[in-house]
Amino acid sequence: MTQSKGERRRVVVTGVGAVTPIGLDARETWSSMREGRCGVGPIETFEIKDLYIHIAAEIKGFDPAKHVSSRKVQYGDRYSWFAARSAEEAWKQSGLPTPIADPYRAACIFGSGAGGFNTIETAYDDLFLKNKKATNPLTLLRIIGSSASAHIGIEQGIKGPTFATCSACSTATHAIAIGADYIRNGLVDVAVTGASEAVLTHGSLRTWQAMRVLSPEGCFPFSKKRNGTVLGEGAGALVLESLEHAQARGATILAELKGVGMSSDSKDMVNPDVEGPRSAMAFALADAGLKPEDIGYLNAHGTATALNDVNETNAIKMVFGEHAQKLPISSTKSMTGHLLGAGGAVEAIACIKALQDGWLPPTIGLDEPDPKCDLDYIPNVGRAAKVENVMSNSFAFGGLNAVLIFGKPPA
Amino acid sequence: MDDVATKIIDILKKHMKEPRDDIGLSTALTDLKIESLDLAMIVFDIEDSFGIQIPYNANEEVEDFKTVGSVVDRVKALLENSGAPAKA
Repeated sequence: MTQSKGERRRVVVTGVGAVTPIGLDARETWSSMREGRCGVGPIETFEIKDLYIHIAAEIKGFDPAKHVSSRKVQYGDRYSWFAARSAEEAWKQSGLPTPIADPYRAACIFGSGAGGFNTIETAYDDLFLKNKKATNPLTLLRIIGSSASAHIGIEQGIKGPTFATCSACSTATHAIAIGADYIRNGLVDVAVTGASEAVLTHGSLRTWQAMRVLSPEGCFPFSKKRNGTVLGEGAGALVLESLEHAQARGATILAELKGVGMSSDSKDMVNPDVEGPRSAMAFALADAGLKPEDIGYLNAHGTATALNDVNETNAIKMVFGEHAQKLPISSTKSMTGHLLGAGGAVEAIACIKALQDGWLPPTIGLDEPDPKCDLDYIPNVGRAAKVENVMSNSFAFGGLNAVLIFGKPPA
Repeated sequence: MDDVATKIIDILKKHMKEPRDDIGLSTALTDLKIESLDLAMIVFDIEDSFGIQIPYNANEEVEDFKTVGSVVDRVKALLENSGAPAKA
């Protein structure tokens, strides 16, 4: 059973951009990953008050006046700042003009798991604690989960399909998958895709704390000592194009987006099932027309929760069979923290950089693996490896799975 | 059984799909078919009812959450530390 179609256009990546706790652009984020730098630390950007979780992967030193070029976006929520900055970086790298020449042939599919969470909290604070008579007039626009996609569309002059995806930790991966589908089927030639997340607030941490899934110590995927995930914030953006569109304008092609696989566990809101991740990975392979042994690196979802890492390991074994033992896998969340909806885009960028540089990022903090996680997770130090195809996994609360496969640019 | 135990068992029953009447202090939580999200809800309910904060992490297997009795003991210890009355 596959989800692949017959005749279709090839999709390539011509630009990437990121804002993460380990770098204010994709280049810095990648060099931090190469160094194995960790973005998790004591919370500094908001008051801890009564929280018992005191760590997060925060973006420090981000100044919208300095890091966001558009005045309109500066008036937006923190999640829109990250989104616009990452999209602008990706757009610039792609070399596409602003505004784009054929605006109805471009899409902007840019998601967020939670939208303007900082704005919600400020508004409630104003209304219920400070007893103000009104909220800031921009509150509604800042909160809306599609405001980041609208902002990006306005900045780049995109007039084709523009909206947000929302699927918790698979948000960005679903956005990329939809953008790719639109290009494959000829609806558009160009798509800015990705997601942004900025939920590091006192109230948000309280909700996560109540779910009992956060670690008070750190994000240690696949490790015996892992005891939960660590929240992060940030954004990742990919400019996708049809191969012929990119070639016609002489663009530098970074990678080909070869395969997409999506599935839902349809089972439980928090406990992951092995069948959903397994089928999403298998669908992606079938969609790309590749065999398991063609994949040279896998960027795991790897959240460092007790359940995910074992379940994902088991699903990988089911899909890759014997090749699972030889397949280098890592969770870059060990360095970025869990960027939630944005994670899939930043991890896709890590995959593309791995293809380009012939270098695989590590899983840091992996001194002693969990015996139930017995694959090669590239512990602590990255390594050089020439790879032709790479896979990126995103598995979300609710059992929402999305998987991407990237390959080297077409010869 | 004292008030704390009775109250905790009532909370457990409230969150069970098929509440049972044979729950005692030695009953293992795993026998109650409680899933991780249910446990988070139960812990929240206990915290709310007794006015305490329980540092429970769903990622760890904790001795305090093995049996009904161990939960009762843990809550009593937290109540003593918080200075709140034992009767909630």
